Amino acid sequence: MTNEPQFDHVDMMLNMGPQHPATHGVFRMVLTVDGERVVDVTPHIGYLHRGTERLAEVETYGQVITLFDRVDYISNLNNELAFVRAGEKIMEVEAPERAQYIRVILAELNRVASHLLFIGTYAIDLGGMTPVMYCFRERERIENLFEHVTGARMMHNYMRIGGVKSDVPDDFVPWVRRLIGEVRMGVEESDKLLSTNEVFLARTQGVGVIDGPTAVSCGLSGPSLRGSGVAYDVRKDDPYEIYPYLNYKIPLGENGDCWDRYYLRVLECYESLNMIEQCLDQFPAGPIMAAGRRIARPPAGEVFAHSENPRGDLGVYLVSDGSDKPYRVKIRPPSFCNLVGLATMTRGAYIADAVAILGSLDIVLGEVDR
Amino acid sequence: MNVTLSDAIKLTMQLFALLNVAAFGAISLVWLERRFLGRLQGRPGPNRVGPLGLLQPIADAIKLMSKEDVAPGTSQRLLFYAAPILVFVPSFVVWLTFPLARDVVVRNLDMGLFFFVAISVLSIVGLVLAGWSSNSKYAILGGFRAAAQLVSYEIPIITMILVIGMLSDSLDFVKVVDAQATVPFIAVVPLAFVIFLIAGLAEVGRTPFDIYFAESEVVGGPFVEYSGAHWAIFFLAEYVNTFVVGILGALLFLGGWRWPFGADLPQIASVALLMGKAYFIVLIIFWIRATYPRMRIDQLMAMAWKWLIPLSFVLFLVAAFQLKFEWPWWVLTILSLGVLVVPVVVQSRKQRNPALALAVRYSANAVIVHAKPRPAAVIVDDVVATSAVEGTSA
Amino acid sequence: MTAQDPQAAPAEKPVRHGPPIVIAEEVLNERGEETAAQLARTLGPLALESAGREDNPWARVDAKELHAVAKECRDGEMGMDMLNLMLAVDWIDRIQMIYVLYSTTNNRKVILKADLPADAPAIDSLSDLWEAATWYEREAHDLFGVDFPGNRDMSPLLLYEGFEGHPGLKSYPLNDYEEW
Repeated sequence: MTNEPQFDHVDMMLNMGPQHPATHGVFRMVLTVDGERVVDVTPHIGYLHRGTERLAEVETYGQVITLFDRVDYISNLNNELAFVRAGEKIMEVEAPERAQYIRVILAELNRVASHLLFIGTYAIDLGGMTPVMYCFRERERIENLFEHVTGARMMHNYMRIGGVKSDVPDDFVPWVRRLIGEVRMGVEESDKLLSTNEVFLARTQGVGVIDGPTAVSCGLSGPSLRGSGVAYDVRKDDPYEIYPYLNYKIPLGENGDCWDRYYLRVLECYESLNMIEQCLDQFPAGPIMAAGRRIARPPAGEVFAHSENPRGDLGVYLVSDGSDKPYRVKIRPPSFCNLVGLATMTRGAYIADAVAILGSLDIVLGEVDR
Repeated sequence: MNVTLSDAIKLTMQLFALLNVAAFGAISLVWLERRFLGRLQGRPGPNRVGPLGLLQPIADAIKLMSKEDVAPGTSQRLLFYAAPILVFVPSFVVWLTFPLARDVVVRNLDMGLFFFVAISVLSIVGLVLAGWSSNSKYAILGGFRAAAQLVSYEIPIITMILVIGMLSDSLDFVKVVDAQATVPFIAVVPLAFVIFLIAGLAEVGRTPFDIYFAESEVVGGPFVEYSGAHWAIFFLAEYVNTFVVGILGALLFLGGWRWPFGADLPQIASVALLMGKAYFIVLIIFWIRATYPRMRIDQLMAMAWKWLIPLSFVLFLVAAFQLKFEWPWWVLTILSLGVLVVPVVVQSRKQRNPALALAVRYSANAVIVHAKPRPAAVIVDDVVATSAVEGTSA
Repeated sequence: MTAQDPQAAPAEKPVRHGPPIVIAEEVLNERGEETAAQLARTLGPLALESAGREDNPWARVDAKELHAVAKECRDGEMGMDMLNLMLAVDWIDRIQMIYVLYSTTNNRKVILKADLPADAPAIDSLSDLWEAATWYEREAHDLFGVDFPGNRDMSPLLLYEGFEGHPGLKSYPLNDYEEW
């Protein structure tokens, strides 16, 4: 060998601390970097741990619904839906049809709102500061509707075991139809600005690739898993509410990179808007709450229910001991499981890509930490 | 050389006026950028402080000046405080040779273009010094990346200035503007304007090239340890540089104060025309900022070394040939457009099509779920209620 | 639920007043019956108890056999390639680990349960079978004190280093806890 000077090789640790503009919440990532490449990444979570599961054991079922609002604070109605379905399964009641339609319409609108937030914040993570303004304008429209229907813009506490809390106002259907048109235009605006933007493509294509089997083994779900080509969607595989009566498409990615995960969410926005239109066409009259006790006192037993959140598959395992408070509520947060795949995706990428990859997983720390 | 007192007074007044013009330009850019970006993003922009928010830059300056001045304990104090000065002073010194009208200039050098190039490079030293004297590993990394980026993008700018110098047969700003009496150089070498704008964006550190001090990236860049007034100086230097790019573009490419009027206008009108063109270029720079995300440092360097530098050398040769063989000016337009078309076609084949094709394919290959027939609508008064709900059955 | 005094005589269920408890009937539907049959074939005599409701059959196995059983579920005819959920339930006298497995190819879900003694709960880690198990196990260790030999990194996930106690257990005082 030649007389090359031998240098000591020390990897540098770079801390993307709990307070950072790009980590979407209190999340700490310690990157071990070798020059400009990431060798390993260690996520540190738990900064937002509020003991939701333990709190749920001392609250009645009606109160636990408010806890679920705050688990994933971007897609509140989808979380409520998962828990309410678990409650209905264990009590063996079924919500009336109108209530199910209301639930699905609101849940899909919440999915669009959540994806809009993702598009905006992903763009601004990468430096494009305009889509976030457009997306939040559309979110305001959706949140206005939520306020009109449920009384609150974000923490709705609207669904109940057996139905929904109150009926929708009289102008619900025309309002939602108008809203769908406006939101569709808004999504198109951000889509046209960002999806085929050269710089955006350079930052996201080929970055953070994860293949299908690894993703399944890591427990990914939702658009993060579908980006790798695995067709797992709770609405299709384990249908609930009135999803069997809707025509919809589930887009799949091929490469498993950041752009796939981003673009699948954009396509899902369009699909959700189509689904809402079909629901409005089929919207029935009728009661909105199942008859029976308002204080739920389910029989003792265990049940598992899950729903398709914007982030993935939110599972609720409910253990009841026959009283009016749950014995154990376990929440399977999709972002928690998606973060397991972060290490695989980030190994070998550039430092600047770590931000892009974390953004493409679309995590919400409220549900990671509970 | 004898300098009389009246000369000295006249020079001082000219420098004072120049400083005011440059500073006023930078401050107006602060206001203009925020309002313009706001309108592009569907929001009003600053509109509280003063009519139309015109006093917003003053409010910003007051805020920045009133912040606590912290320096890291382990930093080299002298160099730490010298670095902003080294970044900021060259931005103002280059103004000495810019003619705002034929006679509105502090000192019109014969080598005005060369002076600009030579002085503007000094600010790179200031950035590296800022990063290094902060004694923080992120600042040092940021400083090195900044230096790499700025040095790489100096080459296309210098080459384009050389091309303009060749075409106008002089390095004197006034003569460059005079050479554009009938046809501005943007029509003669449009590719040079494009390269100049891109490289100018990279020089100033504007999106899409602002990764070295971008907030949402891991390393805060060379400015990470500066606060308050010192950071305000870096901030001001960036805006003055943006304005310099605008003025330079107006002088070199858009015909300065002469085109399209040919003959000289009265001085105020000439200055206004030049400023109008400069602001036009600045607005394009802001428009690009609103639209594009940031490029990664390696993509940025690849773009400089693989695309801009070869293109600028090719253009230089083409311009040299045109001058040698004395072809008419529109031949150069066609040739430079031809040189521009080749990379555009190559890039569009590589990048845009795959994304569009993928988008179409993902939509088409989606898993389609068909609706099941819905049971006839049944009006129900009470839904299934098992004994578990009603209480015990026994 | 009032805070349980760990020194009290271990009770099956806490003392409660109110209407008598109704035990839910667990009935499998047709698809669930098929999955239950597959599960019975895979587990053989190792299944100590099994039932299920709707689509999802569950089976209780011995804690020592769980790793082998889970591996068989993953590699065998069931093809359970995703560990969907893992949780621990504190039944005072024992801690029950529940694993929900899912097969993306067959679209079937099964639930495996294993009982662990309350004083020193430990079970083999499944992190070599599914990557998702690493984080679930760290969380269960934080909140319930269950040990998972074989997991390469058991540092606290949701709680901070130096936290004493396991908040997920019923014996953890919910309202009495004060940090200072």
